[in-house]
Amino acid sequence: MSYMLNPGAQSEPNIEVHKYYGGAIVLVCFLALVLQAFLHKFGHWAELVDLPLLVTVYFGVSRRNPTSGLLLGAIVGIVQDGLSHDNPIGLFGIAKTLVGYLASSVGARIDTENPAIRIALIFVFFHFHQIVIATTERVLLARPAPYFTFPLLLNSVATAAFGVAFFALLDRLRRTS
Amino acid sequence: MVDTVISRHRPLALLAAVVMAQLLLLAFQIKRDHDVRLIRYWAAAVVTPFERGGTWSLSKLGGIWSGYVALRGAKAENVRLHSQLAQLELRNRELASQAAEAQRLSVLLNFRESHPEAPMLAAQVIGASADPASHTLVLNRGEHDRVRRNMAVITPDGIVGKIVEVFPNTSQVLLISDRDSGVGALLADTRTHGVVKGNGDPVPRLDYVVNDEKVRVGEWILTSGEDRIFPKGLMIGTVSGATDGNPFQMIRIEPSAHLDRLEDVIILLSQQELTPKRGDESADSSAGSANPSGIVQIGALSARQSEKSTAAANVAKPAATAPSPEAPVQKAHSRPSQTQAVPPSPAHAPEAPQN
Repeated sequence: MSYMLNPGAQSEPNIEVHKYYGGAIVLVCFLALVLQAFLHKFGHWAELVDLPLLVTVYFGVSRRNPTSGLLLGAIVGIVQDGLSHDNPIGLFGIAKTLVGYLASSVGARIDTENPAIRIALIFVFFHFHQIVIATTERVLLARPAPYFTFPLLLNSVATAAFGVAFFALLDRLRRTS
Repeated sequence: MVDTVISRHRPLALLAAVVMAQLLLLAFQIKRDHDVRLIRYWAAAVVTPFERGGTWSLSKLGGIWSGYVALRGAKAENVRLHSQLAQLELRNRELASQAAEAQRLSVLLNFRESHPEAPMLAAQVIGASADPASHTLVLNRGEHDRVRRNMAVITPDGIVGKIVEVFPNTSQVLLISDRDSGVGALLADTRTHGVVKGNGDPVPRLDYVVNDEKVRVGEWILTSGEDRIFPKGLMIGTVSGATDGNPFQMIRIEPSAHLDRLEDVIILLSQQELTPKRGDESADSSAGSANPSGIVQIGALSARQSEKSTAAANVAKPAATAPSPEAPVQKAHSRPSQTQAVPPSPAHAPEAPQN
C-alpha cells in the first residue's frame, strides 16, 4: 500500500519497460502537436481528440519513468501553449506535467497493454487533465472554466476510443529487446 | 539530510519544481487589475505579512523601549523638571511684578516730567496702619529725603493724603479716607467749594455743600488749594451719590486714586501748582497734564479712570458753556474758612471736562 502514496518511487520488477527507436518519441510528439494544430483548420471535430494528451499518456505508461514522463508532459504542454493564441504559457504545461508523472507512475505498477485498461486510463487522464486546466484557469486567470460538461464527456470518450487504436499504432515503434 | 530526501523522492521533487516553474511562468504572464502582473500580487502577498509583522514587532519593541526601558531616568528628570518649573514660575512672578512696577514707575516718571517746575519725590508704600480704623500708610521716604509734615501725597490717578509723621527714613501718610482727614475741594462743574472728609470707610464724603446745590453723579471733585497742602486742581474723585441732609448734602465720593492698593506714590515737596510742560500736552496723554478745563488730569491711566472721565464729560455737558474762567463762585460755603473761594487761574479754567 505504501507505493500508492509514492507512486513514482520505483517500478514493479515484473513490469516491462519499453524502449523506442531514437528520435521516435520526439518525432511522434512533434507530429501530434502539428496535427492538433493543423486539424483545427478543418473544423471542430478535430477537437474531439487531444493528440498531445494521448502521446503524453502513452509514453508515460510505456516508459514507466516518472522523471521522463513529467518532463515529456511539460515540454508537450508548453509547446501546445505556445501554439495556442490565447493561453498563457504553462496552462497546458502544468496539466500535462502532472498527467505525464501520474501516467508514468501508474504504468510502473499496472499492466497497461490491455485495451480496456488503456481506455480507462485515457478516460481518467482526460478528465484529470481537464480538472487541472479548469482549476488553473479559475484560480490564476479568473476564467469560469468548466470542470465537467457533456461535450467534455463526448470528447473524453472519443479520445479514449481513438487512443486505443493510436496506442496500438505507437506500439509498433517499440524497439525489440 | 536535504540531499537524502531529494534523492529519495527525486521524481516528486522534480515534479514540484517543474510545476512551480510553470506556475511562476504563468504568474509572469497573467495580469490582474490595474495591469499588475500576478507575480507581483503573489510577491506582495508573500512579503506583506512579514513586513507587517516586522513593523508591528518594531513598533512594539519601540514602545517597550520608550515606555519602559528609556524611562529609567524619568523620575530624576521629573524631579529636575519640577524644580525647574518652580524656579521658572517664581522667576515669572518676579518678572511680572517687575513689569507692573516698571509700568507704575513709568507713569510716575511721565507725571514727573510733565511737571518739571514742581519739586516732587517718588516713594514706595512699605507699610500701613495696624489699626483698621486708621487709614494711614508708611512710605520709604523720610526726613533725610527732605520730606516734611503736611506735604501732599498723590498718584497720577488722584490725591492720596498728606504726610502726618516724618521719621528719619520713613514717613506716615494720612489717607483722605481717614476720619481725621480734610481736604479743600470744589465741584468741577459748579465750582462749589467744600471739604472732603473721611469717615473711616473707604468712601470719603464731601461736606459743607448746601442742599440747594445741584450735584450730579459722576461730577469731578478737585482740590481747591485752600487747605494749603494740596495744589489746586488735583483730582480727588467723582461724585458717586448725593442725598439731602441736615443742614448739608451727604455727597459720597469715589476716590480717583486706588487707596486700597497703593504701591508707588509721589510726594509733592511744595504746594506749588502743577502746571504741565506745554510741549508734552499733546505728546503723552498718559502722563499727568492739565486739560483745557484747568484740571491737573493726572489720571487717565486705568479703565476706571477712563470710565469716570467719560461719565463726567457726559454729566458736564450742560455746563460746557456756563462757567467762564473769571466767573465767581456762585454758592457760598457754610464752612467759615472756605467761604471765599479763590477764582481759578486761567490755566485751570473750569470748562467742561473733555475726554
